[in-house]
Amino acid sequence: MKCSLCGLEFKERDGLSSCKGCAVSGSCSLIKCPNCGYEAPKEPGIIKFIRSLKRQKERKK
Amino acid sequence: MALLSLGRKEENCHCSGNAGEITEGLPKVVLVGSPNVGKSVVFGYLTGKYVTVSNYPGTTVEVTRGKGRLGDKEFEIIDTPGMYSLLPITEEERVARSILLDENPAIVVQVADAKNIERMLHLTFQLMEAEAPVFLDLNLMDEAGRLGMKIDTGLLEKELGIPVIATVATDGSGMEGFRENITGFKKKTGRAVKYDKAIESAAQRLQERLRGEYRISKRAIALLLLQDDPEIRSIVRERMKDDYASLEEIVEDTKKSYSQPLNYIITIARQREIMEIIKKVTTSSPAGTLDFRERLSRLMMHPLSGIPILLLIIYGFYEFVGVLGAQISVDFLEETVFGEYINPFVTGIVTSIIPWKVWQDLFVHQYGIITLGIRYAIAIILPVVTTFFIAFSIMEDSGYLPRLAMFIDRLFKKIGLNGRAVIPVVLGFGCDTMATIVTRTLETKRERIIATVLLSLAVPCSAQLGVILALLAGNFTALWIFVGVMAIVFLFTGFLAARIIPGERPLFFMEVPPLRWPKLSNVFTKTYTRVEWYFKEVLPLFILASILIWAGRLTGLFDLLTNALSYPAALIGLPKEAATAFLYGFFRRDFGAAGLYDLKTQGLLNGIPLVVSVVTIALFMPCIAQFSVTIKERGWKMALGMAAFIFPFAFFIGYMVNLVLNGLGVTL
Repeated sequence: MKCSLCGLEFKERDGLSSCKGCAVSGSCSLIKCPNCGYEAPKEPGIIKFIRSLKRQKERKK
Repeated sequence: MALLSLGRKEENCHCSGNAGEITEGLPKVVLVGSPNVGKSVVFGYLTGKYVTVSNYPGTTVEVTRGKGRLGDKEFEIIDTPGMYSLLPITEEERVARSILLDENPAIVVQVADAKNIERMLHLTFQLMEAEAPVFLDLNLMDEAGRLGMKIDTGLLEKELGIPVIATVATDGSGMEGFRENITGFKKKTGRAVKYDKAIESAAQRLQERLRGEYRISKRAIALLLLQDDPEIRSIVRERMKDDYASLEEIVEDTKKSYSQPLNYIITIARQREIMEIIKKVTTSSPAGTLDFRERLSRLMMHPLSGIPILLLIIYGFYEFVGVLGAQISVDFLEETVFGEYINPFVTGIVTSIIPWKVWQDLFVHQYGIITLGIRYAIAIILPVVTTFFIAFSIMEDSGYLPRLAMFIDRLFKKIGLNGRAVIPVVLGFGCDTMATIVTRTLETKRERIIATVLLSLAVPCSAQLGVILALLAGNFTALWIFVGVMAIVFLFTGFLAARIIPGERPLFFMEVPPLRWPKLSNVFTKTYTRVEWYFKEVLPLFILASILIWAGRLTGLFDLLTNALSYPAALIGLPKEAATAFLYGFFRRDFGAAGLYDLKTQGLLNGIPLVVSVVTIALFMPCIAQFSVTIKERGWKMALGMAAFIFPFAFFIGYMVNLVLNGLGVTL
């Protein structure tokens, strides 16, 4: 993921780890940028699936 | 998971594959730097076809290795994952640091983005502090040039005390010099940052007590300990055993000397040193010689020209959300889909199945789950937030958001405020509850309090903002009155808070990515993701609110509260039905705004009362979720104090707006 505010590139798991300690962490589907705290929702499964198809196609090329 | 060994025996720490086998024993050149600075291009330039890509042991992070011949020498070249700092926050950074510090590199090349030199030099200083054999490659010099930046690399080399080379790796410019720097590399001790007395003294005492061999300097270890680096702490604890307690004591004692975290104090000291160098080595071209994109970027961040640009963007939002979202889509869904089909159909079924009115009311009629909760969520909120999120994603993908943060930061400075407080304030336009949680990341108590007050009072969340835009659709003057009042309240509250709450004003710096045309696929993904998230979250809450209203009406509590709220509502010139919307607003901000929308469609709210109600509900008490988070983050006393201020203040402003507009004879 790339943070839309500060531009940090990070993996979903790193974003989730910076949510620790939050009252709603666990039930919340936002991911927090570990650098600036800007939050973005997790990508839905369908979008991840489309991305993986696109990557596969690019690799075949 | 600790990835670092700092000189312990390496286990499973080299990659398999062709390059891995043929590079064994060769001196290592490690490329480090932030993502997107051109490390991979430099890597490609230095290596041949023998390249392996494999996961770093115990992680899913990919590391690329290859062999390169430079002059008459062969090297193993390692392309590390992106790292911003030697104090890691992501797994990629942890892996990059492990490679850097565990694999005993002969040369460390920091590939840096020349146009963001200010941010890049933090890592440079950290590498020099660690006494790594580092040289700095200022890459993307062409992009810096396009932005009108000139960097005197000779002077920078002198200032830093390590070799510096300027390159454009994509077209090979400067790469010959790069090769020569590697083949003729001689390790130099770079410039050191001088920290505060207490930090320097603590670092000195820690260094003296540290035992054993480390692959980085003991000063760097000491500074990382002071910054609470968990990996370094566990490694040092393991080595020092019982003696570790005395180190911990030094760290804890040093923390007591400051009101802010030591990491922050150290970063600020480093930033000051960097700024001193930047002033000497960089020059910017006058704005007239810049390309359009860069000129626009600067205008967006300027305290004066940023205002009309922001107003223009708000106007764009208003047209898009207000006309397409609120007028066309909401009208269709509310009046046709729900008004003509769903509501009569469901009401018919429920009344025929359930004979008791009291249970019918739970599902249908004025406040039923379906006729109120679901109707609000689907017919009013959904089209409005969808169009709002499309507009927001366009703004986000274009790179305007960090510029808005810089612009607000500059405005903050004008009123005596500044610092990272700007981040939660910008986030608040998404969700105030989450933004209130983010205030905990602010370094000083002063910033945390001011940001929380501003969020609770003067920053409407995205959903509320969407419905407000919808409410004001078709009334252009009303929109500007709303924007003007909110801006005055925001600046006045910030100004007042900055005067009342004493404290330091910390520095704020962030990387500003280039402006670009938004990509359709990104806008679609972001909008879809947000709408799905929002809907999942909002629908159950709207249903819950309907149940609570139903229970409140049964017990009489609902009538009691709306009655109590109808007095201040009447005082500011609103119909008594508006009190119900304010009560909704306490459940969720957008729920309240949707209540006003309902009144507007019934013809009960127009002209001046509409503007007054919109201003009041935007300033009104934060929703239950934000209020509970405020209690958690700032404590009961502070949360109740804020509520005691915000509640009458919102009505006072509403009263003043009503008075002024009527006094001036404004017709809307």
